[in-house]
Amino acid sequence: MILKQSKPPDNQIQPNSDTRKKQLEAWCSLILNYHKHKKSYSIDVTEILNSQLCHNKEIDRKLSLDGLYTVLDELCRTGHLEWKDPKTKKQCLVMWRSPEEWGNLIYSWILSKSMTNTVCTFYELTNGEDSEGTEFHGLEKWLLLRAIKTLETQQKAEIMMFDDSEGVKFF
Amino acid sequence: MGGLFSSKGKDKKTESRVTEQDKAVLQLKQQRDKLKQYQKKINVQIEKDRNVAKQLLHDGKKDKAKLMLRKKKFQESLLEKTDGQLDNIDRMVTDLEFAQIESQVVQGLKVGNESLKKLHQLLSLEDVEKIMDETREGIEYQQEIDDLLSGGLTAQDEDDVLAELDAIVQAEVTDELPEVPDDELPEDKRKDKPRKEKRQAEALAS
Repeated sequence: MILKQSKPPDNQIQPNSDTRKKQLEAWCSLILNYHKHKKSYSIDVTEILNSQLCHNKEIDRKLSLDGLYTVLDELCRTGHLEWKDPKTKKQCLVMWRSPEEWGNLIYSWILSKSMTNTVCTFYELTNGEDSEGTEFHGLEKWLLLRAIKTLETQQKAEIMMFDDSEGVKFF
Repeated sequence: MGGLFSSKGKDKKTESRVTEQDKAVLQLKQQRDKLKQYQKKINVQIEKDRNVAKQLLHDGKKDKAKLMLRKKKFQESLLEKTDGQLDNIDRMVTDLEFAQIESQVVQGLKVGNESLKKLHQLLSLEDVEKIMDETREGIEYQQEIDDLLSGGLTAQDEDDVLAELDAIVQAEVTDELPEVPDDELPEDKRKDKPRKEKRQAEALAS
């Protein structure tokens, strides 16, 4: 898989603050684009360290574990990443689109389908036949819930949870 | 101190806009989703059984292949059943959603009707008649004022004015007409018919 990157970011974290800032921006952009391309919403530190993203076998260059943590912490700071367990820092959730952006995408689709004042199941939104071809098709449940919560604060939706039923009503 | 425990300071949670019908719709839709997932699972199984049957036939195990195809047939009958159930669920969801819309329409009509009644109470028929009478009286009163201001002509004066107007019109008509001559017309001395007429008569005779 080839990702369009004008110049691959350096594998060693730079000491100079300006260079370091540019380098971290490049790495963050690369990681987010990589996961967007793969439609992946989680990162396993061990897996990603040995993946083609951090390890270029052709020139035998590899991003160090400390370097990777520096990049992931930067993503965490910008709100694109969240550690599942901040103590162990082994796995994290990646958001290459913010929950607000996902919420707006979902709501735009709801409006285009004239589905306001309609009840939807979470399965219907992310795995239904109607949502096939949309960007949020296949969206993981934890991120879907966050996206809908942003709509809830705008009073555009209300999450329904009772007994074994989970869904959302749009307004 | 009491303020700490009182509920006054707390924001009231916005009232839920989810109705009991919405909950029923959600439960039905969840059942529909489960059926769709079940259908996906069956479709995968059918495809798998078909491939196994093919392989068994290829290996010369006809009986086992037949058994596999029987299993596949049974799975297909299950698919048909789930299709019927899905159809029922979809119909029920549609009915529920439409019933909610109808309920909203009726509610809207009810509100409109009540507003109309209130407006009618504000203006009764007697009030309207009274207003119309007052308006008529006002117009008549205004007419009297106008008459007084314009010189207060009597009925006799009005007749004289009309007579004068007729005389002027008559005079204008007389002026416009041409004079009629009073001379006597001369006698027609031509006794003979013109030649042309003679010729035509002769032609007809022959």
